[in-house]
Amino acid sequence: MKIKLIRTGGFIPVIKAAEIEVSLTDKELDRLLEIIRPDPSAPKIKDGNSYELTVGSNRTPIDLEKVPDEYKTLFSKLKSDLKIIKKS
Amino acid sequence: MLMEVYDCRQKTDLAGATLLWDSGTNQKITSLAGKNVIKGGRASWDFYSQLFGRNSIDNKGMLIRQYIHYDRGMDNAYWDGRRMVYGDGDGTVFTSFTSDIDIIGHELTHGVMENEANLDYENEAGALNESFSDIFGIMIKQKFNNQDVIKSNWLIGERVMIGPKYALRSLKAPGTAYLNHPELGDDPQPPTMDKYQNMPNTPSGDWGGVHINSGIPNFAFYVAAYNMGGYSWEKAGRIWYAVLTDPNLAQNAKFSDVKNLTIMHAEKIFGINSPEVKAVNQGWSEAKV
Repeated sequence: MKIKLIRTGGFIPVIKAAEIEVSLTDKELDRLLEIIRPDPSAPKIKDGNSYELTVGSNRTPIDLEKVPDEYKTLFSKLKSDLKIIKKS
Repeated sequence: MLMEVYDCRQKTDLAGATLLWDSGTNQKITSLAGKNVIKGGRASWDFYSQLFGRNSIDNKGMLIRQYIHYDRGMDNAYWDGRRMVYGDGDGTVFTSFTSDIDIIGHELTHGVMENEANLDYENEAGALNESFSDIFGIMIKQKFNNQDVIKSNWLIGERVMIGPKYALRSLKAPGTAYLNHPELGDDPQPPTMDKYQNMPNTPSGDWGGVHINSGIPNFAFYVAAYNMGGYSWEKAGRIWYAVLTDPNLAQNAKFSDVKNLTIMHAEKIFGINSPEVKAVNQGWSEAKV
């Protein structure tokens, strides 16, 4: 399956995205999304970036600081591949 | 002034960052980003202290903590509620976010805001939150460079954005800081209320366009300060600081609330029929608020 990391927000609100093919089962993906779910009560960071993971048509907010060790390389690659989405 | 500078060494673990400099020992450093944030942090502290008698971010002498070299290629700077954090930029569109004093002043003012009105970070209140940071950021830069309202180009982040034609924001002409940029396109900020952007109150909607619609109160401030003449911080700055620290500024304030408060404080400081009150009215009128 393909997963897409989307970065939004920031001092100027640029949207960036990167996509990668992964071999995760639905169960593994659900577990990962559960672990990296952001704390909804966390205060908003002024000028902070937010991240979302898109799988198919599902877009889920995530907290990159919560990524487990076994997925760190994957997310590091996604982050380094982030490209600005140009407005049409 | 109390300040510490930490080096994140391109990682995201703020707790693991190394102390690079502190105001107590004032040791020499070679890092350009470090020198930039010391200069900007000092200029911001002095601005608030000398002009308004404010004792740091919380007015209680809070230690200013600045974190540089955050993450790899991070094209951003932010205030996380306790400290300022700066990335080195992606090297293509943006360089280090420590490159401009107005960015440092902007982030520090988010801290001041949290200790004062603490405006909600969404919709109109969020755009005002951003606008106060831009306004104090530009004044801190103007004072550091001894620029009056004519000499200043009123651009935020002109060094951070790579390319001589580009800046992050323009208070003088919101919507023109970058045009036809190969990656970013056009600056989306509106200068006037009739062009207010109704955006979703979500991360991807910039929390209702807080960095977009801030162009409107930014433009009101520019017109007011320009029409008063001289140095922005001497008259317009006094009025906007009085509003920022006014207990009557509600957390969910709208542009019209800040308009009314700036007029009220201008009348209080300079007199009901003063040119300064007229200039404030002109500012909000030009911004169509």
